[in-house]
Amino acid sequence: MEKILNEQVVGQLKQAFADLVHPVQILFFGSKENCDYCDETRQLLSEISAVDERINLSAHDLNDDAALAAQYKVDKAPAIVVASKNGEQIIDLGVQFSGIPAGHEFGTLINDIILASQRDSGLGAATREFLKSLTQPLLLQVFVTPT
Amino acid sequence: MIHAEALDAMEFSELSQRFNVQGVPQTVINSGGGVVVGAYPEAQMLAEIKRALKN
Repeated sequence: MEKILNEQVVGQLKQAFADLVHPVQILFFGSKENCDYCDETRQLLSEISAVDERINLSAHDLNDDAALAAQYKVDKAPAIVVASKNGEQIIDLGVQFSGIPAGHEFGTLINDIILASQRDSGLGAATREFLKSLTQPLLLQVFVTPT
Repeated sequence: MIHAEALDAMEFSELSQRFNVQGVPQTVINSGGGVVVGAYPEAQMLAEIKRALKN
């Protein structure tokens, strides 16, 4: 398949990934059924992870790897989980994309990768304090359009 | 404890319809416990989350 990212974008990514600190694990979840953008999303992630060796990519199937999908609360395809990696251990940050991260959302994904690598949400003290005190699960679903 | 999901409103249109998404970004808190339309500054988003969790 033809490359999605051109040389100019790869160059920009190299610059952006200079800010990476710790390894990152990206988990891709695809599906063999009814998934228009699965192949493209997987290829895009593969090209992103090829830019910097600190970005690791693993590919999974929503049905074949149902237990793993459930562990990461993934119920859609294509889905992307951006996690932190500490040695061989993968640390779930609860950060997920559903759908192909095209257009504006490409920048969001790159930013998420950098934040995960720095292990810093960038949130203010008041927000952190409140989130730490949570006693019930919090699900935030942000609907976006990739254009 | 916290799960944050950005999702393509067009690709997952059934879910968009369920939460009546008409503009983006729209943030749905705990499957409808709260709804935030537009990009809110952090402090206001936090206030909306707190409000939704009280419901």
